[in-house]
Amino acid sequence: MASLSEEVLLVVKKVRQKKQDGTLYLMAERIAWGPEGKDRFTVSHLYADIRCQKISPDGKAKVQLQLVLHTGENITFHFANESTAVKDRDAAKELLQQLLPKFKKKANKELEEKNRMLQEDPVLFQLYKDLVVSQVISAEEFWANRLGGVNNTDQALYNNNKQEVGISGAFLADIRPQTDGCNGLRYNLTADIIESIFRTYPAVKQKYCENVPHNLTEKEFWTRFFQSHYFHRDRLNTGTQDIFSECAKQDEKGLKSMVIQGVKNPLLNLLALDDNTLDEGYGVCSPQPSTSVANRTVKESSNSAIIKRFNHHSAMVLAAGSRKGETLNDQGSETSSTDGNSRDSDCFHPPVKKAKLQEATEYDDLQGENRPKTVPLNLKKSDRYAHGPVPLQSHQYTTSQDIINSVNYIHHEMSNYKPNLTQVMSSTAASSAIAALSPGGILMQGGAPQAIHQMIPTDIQGELKHLYVAAGELLRHYWSCFPVNTPFLEEKLTGHLEEMLQAAYNKFHAWQTRRMMRKT
Amino acid sequence: MWTFTEDTKKISRGGGISGSCFGKFFPAAIMASDTDVSLLVIVVDVNPIWWGQQAHREPEFTLAKCLDAVMVLGNSHLAMTRSNKLAVIASHCQDSYFLYPTKKSADNGGDESSSGDGKYELLSATNNQMAEEIREILSKTEVRGNSTDTLLAASLAKALCYIHRVSKELEVGQEMKSRILVIKAAEDCALQYMNFMNGIFAAQKQNILIDACVLASDSGLLQQACDITGGLYLKLPQKVALAQYLLWVFLADSEQRSQLVLPPTAHVDYRAACFCHRNLIEIGYVCSVCLSIFCTFSPICTTCETAFKIQLRQMVKPKKKKLKQQM
Repeated sequence: MASLSEEVLLVVKKVRQKKQDGTLYLMAERIAWGPEGKDRFTVSHLYADIRCQKISPDGKAKVQLQLVLHTGENITFHFANESTAVKDRDAAKELLQQLLPKFKKKANKELEEKNRMLQEDPVLFQLYKDLVVSQVISAEEFWANRLGGVNNTDQALYNNNKQEVGISGAFLADIRPQTDGCNGLRYNLTADIIESIFRTYPAVKQKYCENVPHNLTEKEFWTRFFQSHYFHRDRLNTGTQDIFSECAKQDEKGLKSMVIQGVKNPLLNLLALDDNTLDEGYGVCSPQPSTSVANRTVKESSNSAIIKRFNHHSAMVLAAGSRKGETLNDQGSETSSTDGNSRDSDCFHPPVKKAKLQEATEYDDLQGENRPKTVPLNLKKSDRYAHGPVPLQSHQYTTSQDIINSVNYIHHEMSNYKPNLTQVMSSTAASSAIAALSPGGILMQGGAPQAIHQMIPTDIQGELKHLYVAAGELLRHYWSCFPVNTPFLEEKLTGHLEEMLQAAYNKFHAWQTRRMMRKT
Repeated sequence: MWTFTEDTKKISRGGGISGSCFGKFFPAAIMASDTDVSLLVIVVDVNPIWWGQQAHREPEFTLAKCLDAVMVLGNSHLAMTRSNKLAVIASHCQDSYFLYPTKKSADNGGDESSSGDGKYELLSATNNQMAEEIREILSKTEVRGNSTDTLLAASLAKALCYIHRVSKELEVGQEMKSRILVIKAAEDCALQYMNFMNGIFAAQKQNILIDACVLASDSGLLQQACDITGGLYLKLPQKVALAQYLLWVFLADSEQRSQLVLPPTAHVDYRAACFCHRNLIEIGYVCSVCLSIFCTFSPICTTCETAFKIQLRQMVKPKKKKLKQQM
């Protein structure tokens, strides 16, 4: 009972329950109380079972906390520590207040789910009424298979119905500063843009969380943001006193780490790409080794700064898009991925690299064929197929004399054959044929059988349908027990299911006799 | 150059005149999409041995009468709609022959002697051709003892091939519905089972109806064929009134049949016969390699000699062990 592997959230000593001293433990999923000195809990309740908690009013001498369970039971804890009773009680109450809603939702959610399912599907509802209400199947068995499957799909339906919206790469450009008339600029910030900025540049979000609302108002924060050189394209001087200078430094670091990690695709060599050509159509020439900063012109360095900025921005947007579902409160992972690319490169460890190489070097249709082994067919008695699975029929033998006679006769008859279509049959023959073919004639005896659903009234049909569906459900339980490889299934089959089937049969029998009596 | 041909109201064009100038000379109503073709292929069983014997059994209904009735049906079918097509195949013991259309009709063109009674020329040409062909075929019949069965499966295959060929020769936009009517006289031949079933399934795939009009003994194969393809099976109570039955039951095509009150379909016995005893069984064992059916379990399939392993229930295990020891 006292499983020490559970996480204990709060321990309160000197709590009395039913006039006994003891200790109150609040665990991750349940609340428990054990008497003084003993190791086990005498009282233990899951949070899911607790409907609500009550506390004794402040003026009272006894400091108490009462738990009301769903079943209606009340459990009272008396905090007997003289000095800290109220504090203890309040601490327990606060914790419970936080925990109970979580579990409450779960319990309710299930009930809600069940109710919803029953309401939406009338067939299911009827099945439920037939089987559970009339005590043929227990409610848990009924819901056993249904809830699990449906829950998963439902979650997928309802919760994740909305796709994650990606970040527009142009969100910064969308801000579109407009001149204010008197030498100022207006920046229009919408909630979307703010969200995009936070998702793409977690560093900015960090700054926001740090400073707003303690140090700056939101408006001030954004004003500073736009004023800072961090935002503007030419981040030449980063030495100013700016809350965003740190962000800029972080960005630099991120960019450097991205470059160091590089792209792990073995078939792609980014370094070989170059823009310098010898001439139109003459290919690439490697540039002069003039990478030292001093040699660069001012224009080149500002160009490279812009390009660096763009690359960084794109990388951050992509990284933010691939960081799905992750809460940005998670500080630990955030700082490690400010460069954004670390997540991608994590995926590219050796197995993926190998797969890519294999993909590029091997052709599937040139490989040897791996067809599954089949048994060769060698028929010993293939003449059986000539007649196939038809029963032996009595064969009428004709003597050769008969054959000769018949053929001669036909020769004779048909040698002068002339179609005589006006005398093809007599009117009596025709009228007898018509009589045979009219309704009631000898050929029409089979009836177009009256469809059974026209002969039986709809309410009986409905009842029969319900019984049939219920029987089908029972059969499903029966068949789900096979193959019988656990003693539980065996027991279920021989004991439990037999009862169910018997009960169902009795029900059907009762219905049948009722119907038959009604008829007579 | 525009020429009209008798048997089909198709306008054949010569030279390189494209269809676009078609509309200039003729009203749009004649365009191909208006005419959906309905093709009826009649397979007549002309087994001379059976018909020769039949002449002795029932002199008032002979092969001549049967062919007359078939011609009546053929003429009616052609007269129903201008775009209807007809083909007649005679199913003999030695071969199956096309009675209509034949190669000669394609060659001759409009050389037929017109009938004296003012009949629609297409019909009279058809009848004359059929009569000529059957006379020729039956006069060439030789006596052979080994093949006395009608080659119905072969005729069915020929019919399917003909339908397929005609469907390829349609105009763009024309649709064709086809059906095969089998008029069967002699008994079933068990040796044709496989070919027959293949033909039936081919017809089913092509949405071709197979109807059957059986004169004497019931045919299980044709019952299956009608059931599978959705056609009608009729065993005549009176042979003499064959023409009436044909016109009443088999003249309408599948769409029109839903509006008519026709004889109900009988229950078809689909039970298979086991390969070992040729008895009809309802539950049996099937070899997974050669698909032969057995009524009792044997550890080796007698057709393909595959060894089977069946795991018996645990309670039987001790017995099995004993057997193994003995072996």
